[in-house]
Amino acid sequence: MSLTSFLPAPTQLSQDQLEAEEKLWAQKTYSTALVASRREPPPYGHRQGFIPRALEDFGDGGAFPEIHLAQFPLEMGRKKKTNNALAVQVDAEGKIKYDAIARQGQGKDKVIFSKYTDLLPKEVMNEDDPALQKPDEETVQELTEKTRSALDKLVSQKIAAAMPVRAADKQAPAQYIRYTPSQQGVAFNSGAKQRVIRMVEMQRDPMEPPRFKINKKIPRGPPSPPAPVMHSPSRKMTVKEQQEWKIPPCISNWKNAKGYTIPLDKRLAADGRGLQTVHINENFAKLAEALYIADRKAREAVEMRAQVEKKMAQKEKEKKEEKLRELAQMARDRRAGFKGHGDKGGEDSEARERDEIRHDRRKERQRDINISRAAPDKRSKLQRDQDRDISELIALGKPNPRASSEGQYDQRLFNQSKGMDSGFAGGEDEMYNVYDQPFRGGRDMASNIYRPSKNIDKDAYADDFENLMNNNRFAPDKEFSGADHSQRREGPVQFEEDPFGLDKFLEQAKQHGGSKRPSTSTRSKDDYHDKKRRKE
Amino acid sequence: MTEVRTCLHDVQKHSVHTLVFRSLKRTHDMFVSDQAKAVSRDDVSHKLKMGVKLKTDYSAVLHMPILKEGKDRVSQLPAHLQGHAPYSQQDASRTAASVVDIHRHAGGGDRVHPQSTAVSLHEGGGTRTSALMRRAPTMPKPQWHPPWKLFRVISGHLGWVRSIAVEPGNQWFVTGSADRTIKIWDLASGTLKLSLTGHISTVRGVAVSTRSPYLFSCGEDKQVKCWDLEYNKVIRHYHGHLSAVYDLDLHPTIDVLVTCSRDATARVWDIRTKANVHTLTGHTNTVATVRCQAAEPQVITGSHDSTIRLWDLIAGKTRATLTNHKKSVRTVVLHPRQHGFASGSADNIKQWTFPDGKFIQNLSGHNAIINTLAVNSDGVLVSGADNGTIHMWDWRTGYNFQRIHAAVQPGSLDSESGIFACMFDNSEGRLITAEADKTIKVYKEDESATEESHPVNWKPEILKRKRF
Repeated sequence: MSLTSFLPAPTQLSQDQLEAEEKLWAQKTYSTALVASRREPPPYGHRQGFIPRALEDFGDGGAFPEIHLAQFPLEMGRKKKTNNALAVQVDAEGKIKYDAIARQGQGKDKVIFSKYTDLLPKEVMNEDDPALQKPDEETVQELTEKTRSALDKLVSQKIAAAMPVRAADKQAPAQYIRYTPSQQGVAFNSGAKQRVIRMVEMQRDPMEPPRFKINKKIPRGPPSPPAPVMHSPSRKMTVKEQQEWKIPPCISNWKNAKGYTIPLDKRLAADGRGLQTVHINENFAKLAEALYIADRKAREAVEMRAQVEKKMAQKEKEKKEEKLRELAQMARDRRAGFKGHGDKGGEDSEARERDEIRHDRRKERQRDINISRAAPDKRSKLQRDQDRDISELIALGKPNPRASSEGQYDQRLFNQSKGMDSGFAGGEDEMYNVYDQPFRGGRDMASNIYRPSKNIDKDAYADDFENLMNNNRFAPDKEFSGADHSQRREGPVQFEEDPFGLDKFLEQAKQHGGSKRPSTSTRSKDDYHDKKRRKE
Repeated sequence: MTEVRTCLHDVQKHSVHTLVFRSLKRTHDMFVSDQAKAVSRDDVSHKLKMGVKLKTDYSAVLHMPILKEGKDRVSQLPAHLQGHAPYSQQDASRTAASVVDIHRHAGGGDRVHPQSTAVSLHEGGGTRTSALMRRAPTMPKPQWHPPWKLFRVISGHLGWVRSIAVEPGNQWFVTGSADRTIKIWDLASGTLKLSLTGHISTVRGVAVSTRSPYLFSCGEDKQVKCWDLEYNKVIRHYHGHLSAVYDLDLHPTIDVLVTCSRDATARVWDIRTKANVHTLTGHTNTVATVRCQAAEPQVITGSHDSTIRLWDLIAGKTRATLTNHKKSVRTVVLHPRQHGFASGSADNIKQWTFPDGKFIQNLSGHNAIINTLAVNSDGVLVSGADNGTIHMWDWRTGYNFQRIHAAVQPGSLDSESGIFACMFDNSEGRLITAEADKTIKVYKEDESATEESHPVNWKPEILKRKRF
């Protein structure tokens, strides 16, 4: 119920309205497309002298027939090389079809998504929305049938070669076609208006081998044009992310094909040594300790055993010694002390002891005489000692010949006037020149045997020291009158053989005092003593 | 009007931006239906006003007749005068046929301008109003689904379990594994019924035929085998693939098998004659997954070149190529009731519709390599990933209502958790997953959960949906 419905229509347009009409007409041609016309050709009737050369001169239209000039609007009609420029096409609404590029090789109803709106998510639809429903049963069945027949045909083609040869299949019955040619006349078709054609399928020989070779290999044709990509390009990779995916080169522990020299820390870098903590089983330590303890215990045990054995041996020895002593005692008693054993008593015990000592000494003397008699070279004891090695002398407890405490120098060190090449003696092996002088031999032993010097403490020997010193009582080579000079005397006491057998006689006298026994007993006793001494 | 909801216990912290936007949206929703709507006209007062105006200003010409044609000419002008005004665009004037009627009262010239602009504002607001009135109340709320829980673990395989198929009668299910065997398990008890050997490498795909007693299996040894389940023997081999066969599917109505392989092709085989009917080439990298359906498009393949192709089975040619994914598409699943499908890749899961493959929405949140998807008739979408996690989504809205990460079998390393295949059984009450720790895990819905115990925590992004 607006105002204009009550008012009459204006008969004439005002100036403003006219201008508006003009503007409107101008705006109609305004569009939002990229391709737009700029210059307009002059209107009809005013085209004298107008020569359209460029594309814009034609405006929206085509060639001008009144201009007698070869014109190529939109470059149509020119003979040019084929270029693959696509003509700009416009769709029903007037908008330019930009996806013509994407649709170049395809049929026009192929589904291609190329707009931005195709990749935006759509409104969530209700479940009953018809767009979401599956197609109904009939359509599906129809489609199934169509597909099945198509696939069956394909399958039969593929397996035709494998199928056995059968009799020629019956051809379909002939078809008759009535045909009315366009060129009519008496001359054509002998005046008849229509023709009847009998269409028959050509017979196919069932035994015929395939007609064409299909084993030729030809290169594949070009693929269908790529579909437009409907996602944003992948994000640029940041340096940090690139670093994360860096893979270090492989340094094998086994192979080195190009023979690179790689420093050791790089060789072991990938081993993962730094990552693992080394776990040593504590049983190793336990084992070591157990071994140590066992070793110690074994040693202790061995030691103890040795000690025990030594003790046992000592005991044994003592026992044996005891036994021997007893036997000796018995023997002595039997030999010397039987007769005066009971009545002599205590005062005679010393005499008996002295007698025993004398007896022992005589025995030893006798032994030596025997030995010297037995030995062919008649070497005396002192002579024997002279030949002994110093270690043996030390072991036997013989006097130490070395008395001087001052340093003993090799005399070859002094009086060095021989020159530089002296001393080595040309590398002679047989010479023994480690020492320049022999160790104190036996010749000096006599002089080194203890002799009380004047420096000895007078306390021990009272004031008669000089008298003692000048006393020649202990001169070693003081001789008896009528002593034998032929024998060289070494040392203070020279034991000599018993030429007269007095010892023997005295011994026998002793023995026979007890009992009348033949020489067997004495001999056996001598032997026994000798044996005993030898043992020691 | 949208009521303002006050949360007593849960005060969540948001950024200023979010808060501002939320309040903006709420205010907008509250006033949008009324905004810029003109005050409703009172007929009596309007008639009175008109009468007075006519008498005072136009009493001199009231006697003249009202001509129709002139009116049209004049009426066109003011409509197009709106071109000056920035608000109304040409599409608006074209689409709303009633605009001309609205503008008829405007006389012409400058006098009309302010009124016309006012009216154009009015009109623009009107269209916007009408458009938004359609949209404002339809922010969808996700349907509540009970959470799923693990209730059985079946171990027996000696290698990764790579594939699962359930028998049409729901008595048993088959699994193919990296230990080269195919095992048949009882669904109710989980005990092993049969073990089939014959493959010489990992068995990557198994399928049970609904139309005949056949089991189909494919492996990395390029073999595709057809097993007769009455004799438990291999009766057919489909020879032709040049490399490992990764997946296979049976057509529901035609006796045709489709397999896909690492040689970038998918092959269509006639089951009875073993003939290779079509070789579907076009992918440039391994074809990882293939699905068949009875309606157009009959074959859908997903590949490691991050594209999905919808094929025309009759011609053996691609119908459409979907390039929305950025990473390899490892799995595709068809909705059992709706005419749509979902594809899973490492970047996100996308939902599409048939027959052209229009993109519907993204399901993002599962940031892992997705190996498998499965859909329920209730609208539960399950995505299983290479790191062992399972996400449960509401199909319609894309709301992730549950995340499960089951523990590995004792004896396995924690890194050996991954899901290679998952499938709902035919009753859709059990979810069976094939895992990398050599077990098969069976999940079922938690009966004790209610809407209150597991509330829907739906927080969609503001300004997510655009008017396209």
